[in-house]
Amino acid sequence: MCKGLPLFLLLICFTVQAEQWPGEQWPTGTTITDTGALDNYAFPPRDDATRQGIRTDALLIIRDGQILYERYAGPTTEQTPHLTWSISKSLMATVLGVAYGEGLFKLEDPAAKFYPPLAKYPEIKIADLLHWASGIDWQEDYEYAPLRSSVVAMLYTRGHHDMAAFTANHDSYAAPGQAFRYSSGDSNLLAAALKTIVGSQRYADYPWTALFEPLGIRHAVWETDASGTFVASSYAYLTARDLARVGLLMARDGRWNDRQLLPKDWVAFNLEPFAGYKAHQDEAVPGGHWWLNRPADGAASPWPDAPPDTFAALGHWGQALYVIPSEKLVIVRYGDDRDGSYRHNELLKHVLKAVRP
Amino acid sequence: MKRFLLLLLVLLLGWVVYERENLWAFPDIISAYTAKEYCSCRYVMNNDAEYCRGYVKQWLPTSQFTDDPASKTITVSGMGRSNRAQWLSERQGCRLQP
Repeated sequence: MCKGLPLFLLLICFTVQAEQWPGEQWPTGTTITDTGALDNYAFPPRDDATRQGIRTDALLIIRDGQILYERYAGPTTEQTPHLTWSISKSLMATVLGVAYGEGLFKLEDPAAKFYPPLAKYPEIKIADLLHWASGIDWQEDYEYAPLRSSVVAMLYTRGHHDMAAFTANHDSYAAPGQAFRYSSGDSNLLAAALKTIVGSQRYADYPWTALFEPLGIRHAVWETDASGTFVASSYAYLTARDLARVGLLMARDGRWNDRQLLPKDWVAFNLEPFAGYKAHQDEAVPGGHWWLNRPADGAASPWPDAPPDTFAALGHWGQALYVIPSEKLVIVRYGDDRDGSYRHNELLKHVLKAVRP
Repeated sequence: MKRFLLLLLVLLLGWVVYERENLWAFPDIISAYTAKEYCSCRYVMNNDAEYCRGYVKQWLPTSQFTDDPASKTITVSGMGRSNRAQWLSERQGCRLQP
């Protein structure tokens, strides 16, 4: 398209082509045509009665800031603000990153400085909460051990009025910062700390003013508990296209157009594997509230068919935001998988095969 | 045999005392889960009512279910408990009440 243009126009042309950003809408790139295997994997015949098998609600592939592929199923459309479940945790980390850029806290600050009910755990730092390494004795099981599940009690019974206070009331099992144990409680302690970090005046609108609005996200929902604290563990809702904006921000090292929204050292912390993680403790390697495809503690990368710089925000029932900076890819996958048959590695393998020339 | 049953009873009682908080809260799970997640399915994600009923279905049964579209309030009973969730605003979505 740049042939036969004067030199200065050619230069503009290259500059524009070098970096695409979504405005009100996402630009559409050359759509990929050979998507048979990907479609077969992500969108098998859907059974809403038995709810068995892989049930993708949305699959959106962005390359270099442009839409390459987009498909919806079930009741979900491009307008649906879909429940992200635990992707919310990585979103909270991103919101915190903006506050970090304002110089309002440091990673080494004690969490109790911003959330006084944690005073009995003065050693827990903000960084420990971001590593899911508070040492608080939390039980994350969702469906299989509902009686003992801290998450179920937090969301639906004893904890739902004030989820951070419910978390802080748990005993501890390890020294802070030493051991990884995935905990929705840790994420909600961060949400409670943010209230003091940015001040109660700004708090209720902060995810919008700090993150969503600068990125052009117009329809985000983030539910709160009765104490007004964002349910950072579970309850943010975004359209697939809007979640991809957060992916693009992360793919480009925290920069949105000309603005460095997240400090580079914040993103580096997000993407640094937590040293206290033991092999196979979880389905991917925890960084600072994001999931990394990195070898850790002697084990191979969790998604061997994807590049090692792949990272993700992951949620219950198959929600995923994958970012592969080396391939300039951002992938949003929403689903309603109830039987655990969906595999991140398979999806990534099929996407990479479909987009590579 | 009697001694064995007695021992079993003592152990069971001990477990009930130990888990009393969790046991007391347990019957609330199904109605609270159904009310909250249906509310968000219907009024945050804007899916249709029939889909949302299937979406929140669990292995435990619920006995009563009402959705008042005017106030966007969902009330669900099950296992002898009742719970309510309400849509609050565009940004805040749904929350269990009270």
